[in-house]
Amino acid sequence: MAGEKTFYQEYEVFSKRTPTASFQHQFSLLAPNEDMAFVLAQENFMRREPVADIWIMNRKHIRGLNEEEKMSLSRIDNKDYRETKGYGYLRKKWREYEQNMLDEKEILGGGGK
Amino acid sequence: MTGVLAMTEEDQMDRFMERIEAGEKIEADDWMPEEYRITLIKLISMHGISEIMGALPEKEWVPKAPSLRRKLGIMAKVQDEMGHGQLLLRVAEDLLKPYGKNRGDIMQDLFNEDLKFHNVFHMETKTWADAGLIGWLVDGAAIITQTDMLKASYGPYARALQRICAEEVFHAQHGEAIIMALAEGTEEQKALIQEALNRWWEALLMFFGPASKSTTGSTKQDATIKYKIRTKTNEDFRQMFFDRYIPRILSLGLTVPDPTLHYDEAEKVWKYAQPDWTEFKKIIRNEGPRSQERLNLRRHSYEHNAWVRDALAAVVN
Repeated sequence: MAGEKTFYQEYEVFSKRTPTASFQHQFSLLAPNEDMAFVLAQENFMRREPVADIWIMNRKHIRGLNEEEKMSLSRIDNKDYRETKGYGYLRKKWREYEQNMLDEKEILGGGGK
Repeated sequence: MTGVLAMTEEDQMDRFMERIEAGEKIEADDWMPEEYRITLIKLISMHGISEIMGALPEKEWVPKAPSLRRKLGIMAKVQDEMGHGQLLLRVAEDLLKPYGKNRGDIMQDLFNEDLKFHNVFHMETKTWADAGLIGWLVDGAAIITQTDMLKASYGPYARALQRICAEEVFHAQHGEAIIMALAEGTEEQKALIQEALNRWWEALLMFFGPASKSTTGSTKQDATIKYKIRTKTNEDFRQMFFDRYIPRILSLGLTVPDPTLHYDEAEKVWKYAQPDWTEFKKIIRNEGPRSQERLNLRRHSYEHNAWVRDALAAVVN
C-alpha cells in the first residue's frame, strides 16, 4: 500500500441546489487531484438532485475545532437583549397606545404599499 | 473546566458515555474508546464492502434486462450501490487513520478473507425475477436495518446513511416495479417470481443474522446497542420485515415456502421455521454458493484496474 499513501487526497465537497441557495456540505471524497475531485463529486453526490454550483476543498486547508475547542461554544441562555424575544413586552405597550406592534414581516417588507 | 485532552481515560470514558446518552453525535476527531472505534470500523467497512459486493449479483442483469428502460433502471441502481460503498469507505477510512490504514487495506482484508461481506450477497441469481426480488425484498430488508441507524451516535455514519436511505427508496420501488410487471404477466412470469421467492426465502431470514450469539458464537448486536449505534435486535428486525412484507407477498398470490409461518396473536410475534444456520456459518466463511466467484471478480477487477490508479498517481504533484 506504500505507493498509495501519496496517491489520494481528501476533499470536502460543498454544493448548492439553486443560484440563490447557500452552499451546503455534502460529504468527503478521495481524489488524486482537483479535476478528478469535481468529476467524482458529481458522480458521488449529485446523481439526481439539481445542482447550481460546486466547491471542493482539500481537507488540509480546513482548520476545524477540536473536541475541547467545541466545548467553548456552548452558551449561557442570557442573551435575550440580542433577540426579538427580549422585546416582546412592546406588543402590550403598543396596545396601550392603540397601535399594533410591527412584526418582523412588516419591518422587513420595505414599508411601501 | 478541565480540558478533554488532560482528562484521565476513565473521565474521558464517563464523558463519552454521557454524550452518547444525551444523544450527542460523536465526530471523527473526538475522543472515543477503542471498543467503539473497532466496533464502528468492523460494522462500517463490512457495510461499505457489502454495497460494492452487492452490486455484483445485480450487475449480471444489466446486459440481460428485458427493455432499455429496465436496463437504465438497474444500471442506476448498480451505480448507487457503488456510490454507497464510496461514502461508507470514506467513513471507515477516517476511523482507521490512527492505525495508518486506508481503503487499500480494507480491500486487501476482503481479498485475504479477513473482512466478510454480507451473507445475502453470496447467493446466486438465476432469473430476471431474482433481480426484481433483490430490489423489493433484499433492499426492503436493508432499509429496515439501515433506517434504525439513521440516528446512530457516530455522526459521519448517520449522515452517510441519510444519503443512502434516500436512494434505497428508489431501489425498493425499482424492485417492486419489476415484481409487479411479472405478477401481472403470463403464468410463466408468475411462476418465475414464486421460484425466486422459494430460492431466496432462507437468505431473507438469514439477512438479519441469528437471534443470539449461541448460533454462531459471536454477534455485534450487544456493542452496537450499548453505544447507541442501533436500537433493535436482529430478531426485532426480522419481525418488522414479516410485518411489512408478508401481507404484500401474499396479496400478489405468492406462497411463502414455509408452511409453519403464522402470526401468533397471543405472543404478538411471527412464528417461522428457522433457516439452516449451518449453511449460514458456511456462507460467512466465504463458502456460500457464489462466495469465491464474487471475490475473484473483485480481485480480478482490482488488479485489472491497477493501471488507472498508477496513471493517476503519476500526475500527483
